[in-house]
Amino acid sequence: MEKWECTVCGYIYDPKKGDPDNGIAPGTPFEKLPDDWVCPQCGADKSMFEKKV
Amino acid sequence: MKYLIVGNGVAGVNAAKTIAESEPGAQIAIYAAEHYPYYNRWQLPAFLAGELSQEEIYFYPEQWYIDHGITVKLGLAVKAIVPMARQVILTDGAEVRYDRLLLAAGSSPAVPPIEGANQAGVFILRTIDHALAIKEYAARARNAIVIGGGLLGLEAARSLRVLGLSVTVVELFPRLLPRQLDIQGAGTLQELIERAGVKVITGAATEQIQGDGKAAGVRLKGGTVAQGELVLISAGIRPNTQLAKEANIQAKRGILVNERMQSSAPDIYAAGDVAEFNGQVYGIIPAAIEQARVAALSMMGADVAPYTGTIPSTTLKVVGIDLTSMGEVNPEGEGFTELRFADRAQGMYRKIVLRNGRIVGAILLGDKKNVSPIARLIKAQTDVSTQASRLSERDFDFRTLFAPAAPQASRYECTVCGYIYDPAKGDPEANVPAGAPFESLPEGWVCPQCGASKAMFTRLED
Repeated sequence: MEKWECTVCGYIYDPKKGDPDNGIAPGTPFEKLPDDWVCPQCGADKSMFEKKV
Repeated sequence: MKYLIVGNGVAGVNAAKTIAESEPGAQIAIYAAEHYPYYNRWQLPAFLAGELSQEEIYFYPEQWYIDHGITVKLGLAVKAIVPMARQVILTDGAEVRYDRLLLAAGSSPAVPPIEGANQAGVFILRTIDHALAIKEYAARARNAIVIGGGLLGLEAARSLRVLGLSVTVVELFPRLLPRQLDIQGAGTLQELIERAGVKVITGAATEQIQGDGKAAGVRLKGGTVAQGELVLISAGIRPNTQLAKEANIQAKRGILVNERMQSSAPDIYAAGDVAEFNGQVYGIIPAAIEQARVAALSMMGADVAPYTGTIPSTTLKVVGIDLTSMGEVNPEGEGFTELRFADRAQGMYRKIVLRNGRIVGAILLGDKKNVSPIARLIKAQTDVSTQASRLSERDFDFRTLFAPAAPQASRYECTVCGYIYDPAKGDPEANVPAGAPFESLPEGWVCPQCGASKAMFTRLED
């Protein structure tokens, strides 16, 4: 599963870790994140994330 | 359709990407003054500190442009625009036609007219070249002064500290980060910055950079002198509007654009740091990205919701300090309520700004876990008035505010066995009534099907 990077602040979403504090269990791929999910570090929209090349 | 983009930064690249993805086969050309591939400019402080390599800050390699059918010319800039002829003239003299033109030339550091700024040892930080020059000079310097206590100034100050210099930040305003923080938040931040070994002087105007051809220090209004062989000026940005102004395209501080990012000239658009919308130049990445997407879709003639502005959001990227500022944090006028929690000793400060019962701004210092919930509440403009009195409690869990009445509460899926918790049904066997949102379930609740803990559930899209 690929990691995605927040283009605003650099936070890396790692599917293996998820974002449990915000209702996303470990193992959740980026594509499955709800549309209103935001970057836990800076609050940026999900649409501001890019796949880590 | 031939799309021509001036600038290979956040706005230019995101516009090109949007066009390439929506119109495969579109002719897209980007012209850029810088020689470097697209890189994360906001990572320059980390690059300066030696924490990231040059390769690590590049974001899209050459292959990305090739894969997307985008022609990019590095080090080849647009020298003039001829709107009536739908042409641009490049720095090498070539004339290039376009059907749609996007001006995304960004901004340059604003350099106040300080006496002595033309000496060796005085720098600005905007490009990789600047960072390389500073790194080299820093190797021979002991003390540094950073003029400007904004985001870049503080991040660069920390980088210079990492490089072993003694650093003093001089800020004109009475407080640090005047746009992103209020007095109390700035005071708490200043303590954290000072604990990290950087000296801070606020309410100080720099009158002169002293030295004999080489910077030796600064003299502040009032007479105070601070020593420094390396002086970094980080005093804001100036949109690069010259090209537009010379072509008689309307610009004030930035190039004036409407809600479709159109400039005053036909088929010419603007986005990012160079653009001014409703009297505002945002100068932040989220605005550049949002504007670029609207501009791209407008240029393609596609249906796009009008741009209505970007909720400003900034995060200070200094290791060990968690600071995010969102929305309206220094409200003026009637109708706003401010709710605070502060623990100065712990370096914690939280301020929530409400209007009509909805969160419109927040300062979160040392309160990282609430960044995401509050960002979502601001975006959704959720009415939190029934809980307003609790927002200043230290441990108030902002996630509980998402849980409106049952019809809108989200379903959650157990990632272990696939069981779906449906709030409409609840979990009666565990005494959880129908209508109970997942977020309200007690921590000890487990999956009725396989016993997995609450943490193993993921929220499903509505």
